[in-house]
Amino acid sequence: MTWLTEWVGYLPQMMSGLGVSLLIAGISILFGYPLGLGLSLMVTAKNLAVRTLGLAVVEIGRGAPALVILYLFYYGLPKFGIAFESVTAACLALTWNSAAYSSEIMRAGLQSVARGQQEASNALGLSQRVTFFRVIMPQGMRSAIPGLMGVAIQVFQGTSLAYGIAVPELMKTAYNIGSQDFNYLQIFTLAGLCYAVISMPATWITVFFEKRMARHT
Amino acid sequence: MTLSEIANGKLAPRTGIKLDNISKRYGDHIVLDDVSLHVEPGTVTALIGPSGAGKSTFLRCINLLERPDSGTIQVAEHTIQPGKDVNARDLAALRRTVGMVFQSFNLFPHMSALKNISFPQQKVLGRSREEADERSMQLLERVGLKEKAGQHPGRCSGGQQQRIAIARALALDPGIMLFDEPTSALDPEVGLEVLAVMRELAADGMTMIVVTHEMQFARDVSDTLVVMADCKIIEQGDPRAVMSDPQEARTRRFLRAVLER
Amino acid sequence: MDALSAVLQGLPMTLGLTLSAFAIGIVGAVPLALGLSSSNLPVRLASRLFVDLVRGVPIIVWLFLLKFGIQIGTFKFNPVGAAIVGLGIVSVAYLAEILRGGLQSVPRGQGEASHALGLAPADTFYGVLAPQAFRIVSPSIATYLTGLLKDSSIASTIIVTEMVFQSQAFARQHPTVEGILPYIIVGVLYIVLSLPVAYLSRRLDSRMRKAIYA
Repeated sequence: MTWLTEWVGYLPQMMSGLGVSLLIAGISILFGYPLGLGLSLMVTAKNLAVRTLGLAVVEIGRGAPALVILYLFYYGLPKFGIAFESVTAACLALTWNSAAYSSEIMRAGLQSVARGQQEASNALGLSQRVTFFRVIMPQGMRSAIPGLMGVAIQVFQGTSLAYGIAVPELMKTAYNIGSQDFNYLQIFTLAGLCYAVISMPATWITVFFEKRMARHT
Repeated sequence: MTLSEIANGKLAPRTGIKLDNISKRYGDHIVLDDVSLHVEPGTVTALIGPSGAGKSTFLRCINLLERPDSGTIQVAEHTIQPGKDVNARDLAALRRTVGMVFQSFNLFPHMSALKNISFPQQKVLGRSREEADERSMQLLERVGLKEKAGQHPGRCSGGQQQRIAIARALALDPGIMLFDEPTSALDPEVGLEVLAVMRELAADGMTMIVVTHEMQFARDVSDTLVVMADCKIIEQGDPRAVMSDPQEARTRRFLRAVLER
Repeated sequence: MDALSAVLQGLPMTLGLTLSAFAIGIVGAVPLALGLSSSNLPVRLASRLFVDLVRGVPIIVWLFLLKFGIQIGTFKFNPVGAAIVGLGIVSVAYLAEILRGGLQSVPRGQGEASHALGLAPADTFYGVLAPQAFRIVSPSIATYLTGLLKDSSIASTIIVTEMVFQSQAFARQHPTVEGILPYIIVGVLYIVLSLPVAYLSRRLDSRMRKAIYA
C-alpha cells in the first residue's frame, strides 16, 4: 500500500508529463492524417517524379525507426544550422512517422472502394473532384478508420521516445523522479500504467470498430 | 405522368445515337472489331449474344467508360472521335445525354436512396437541393420505392437497388438509357420488378440500348434485336423475325442454346 | 567513410538483439496463442490481459523497468540482458496475437473434419491447423520481424551499443556537418536490412502455398 500513497504523491508531476505526451501525439496526428492523405495520392499519381517523391517520403517514414528520425531532427539538422526546440523536433518526427503509416492505410482504403463506384460516377457525369471527395473518399476513409486509430495509438506510445531528446513528457518525468528517489520500479510501473490506461481501451475500441466493419461489408 | 415525363419535366426530347466503326483491343486481344450501330430516337435495341462476344464492352464504349481505339460516336449535335483527344465539354455532354444502369447497381453505399438520386442532379445539373429532392421523390414513387427514400442501399433488396439506380439515371434527364445486364445479378422473381419498370420506360418512348439475357424481354419489348458474337455484330433486325428465322448459323446455335434450356 | 564504419560497429549487436528477442517471441507466442483461443474463460481472459497490457506499454518503459527497476538479491540486469528480455516479452505478446489471428482464420471445417477422422487433438493441431495458420500469418510475422529490427534501436536508450548508440557516439564527437551522416546512414541501413526479410517472406509464402496445395 505504500506504493499507492507514493504514486498519489507523484501523480501531479506525472499528469503534467502525460499532458505533454498527449499534446505531442495530438499535434502529430492532426498533421499526420492530412499529410498521409496527400502522400497516398502522391504514391498513386501518374507523374513519375511525384510518385517517386511520395514513395521516398513514405518508405523512409516507415522503414527508419522513429527514434532515428527523432535524432535526425534534433541532433542531426542543427549541424547544418537548422535547430528545433525539442518538442518541435518530436512533433516533426512523429508527424512524419504517422503520415507515412496512415498514407499506406488510406491508400489501401481508397483502393478497396469498388471499381463500379468510379464507373457509376463517370457515367453520371460527376467531375473527378466531386467523385473523389464525395464518392470515393468517404467510403475509403470509412474502411481506414480502425487502421488510422491504430496509428494514433502507435504515435501516442511513440511519444515516449522523445525521452531521448529531453522532452519533459511522461517517460522523462518518470526518469527524473526515479533518479531523485531511486524508486525506479514503482515509478516506471506507474508510468507504464499511465500509458496502458490510455492505450488499452483505445485498442479495444479499435477492435470493436474492426469487427463492426467486418460485419457490415 | 409517365416515367420519362417525370424524368424530363415534360415529354422526352427523344435522342438517337449513331456509332460507326468502333474498334477496341487490349494489347493483341481484339474485343470489338469495326462495330457500327444506328439507333433511332424512341426505339429499344436489345443486344444479345454469347458471353465474351463484346456486348458489355460495346455498351461501355457508348458513354466512353471504355475508350475505343477508333470510330465515331454521334449523339445529339455532338460528334466524338474517341480515338483522338476528346475534349472535356464533349465528354460531359455525352455523359449527360446518356444514362447508364449497371449489372451491379453501383449505388453509393454511404448515401440514402434519396441522396443517391439527388446528389448527381445537384452536382451535374446544378439543381437546388429542394428541386432535386422533389424530382427524386417523384421518381422513387414511380418505381414504387417512395418509402425507401431514407434508407441506405445496404438495407434494400437487389431489385429495389436496381430500381433506385434506374431512378438515379433518369433524374439527369437522359435522352438515351443504357442497361448493362440489369437483371443478371438478381433472382428471376426479383428481376421481374426491374423488367416491369423497363417496359414502362420503353412504352413511354425512351431510347434504350439493353444488353440482356432475358430473351422474352428482348422479343416483346425491343424494336431491334442485335446479335453479337466474336467481337462483331453478326445479325440485326426485327426481334420476332430474327428469333424465328435467324439468317446466320452462329445466331441459330446461340438461340438454340438459350431457348432450349 | 568513418561514419559508416562507426555505425557498422553496432550492426552485430542490432542483429543479435533482434534475433534473440524474435526467438523468445516465437517460443513464447505458441502457448500464449493457444491461451488466447482457449475455450476456458479464465485462461482466455488472463492471456488477453497479458497481451493487451504488454502491448499497451511502450517498449522504452519495459526496458527501463527491467534495467533499473528489477533487483532480486544481488541480481540486476545488464543493458543487453534487459534489452533482450524486454524486446522478447513484447515480441511474445505481438506474435501471439498474430498467431491467434491465423488459427482463427483456418476454416472451422478443418477441425471438424479432423475430429470426424478420429485424429488426436495434438495431431489435429500440429498436423492440420498449425501448418495452415502459419502459412496465413507468415507475411505478418515477417512484417513483425522488420518492426522488431527497428524497435531494437530503443535499446540505445539503456546504453546497449547497437547501431543507433554508435551513431549517437559518432555524432557527439563530430560537431561539424559530418555529424549528420551517421543518422542518415543508420536510417538507410534499417531500410536495407528489412529488404531481405520482405523478400524472404514473399518466397516463403509462395513456397508454403505450393507445399499445401500442389
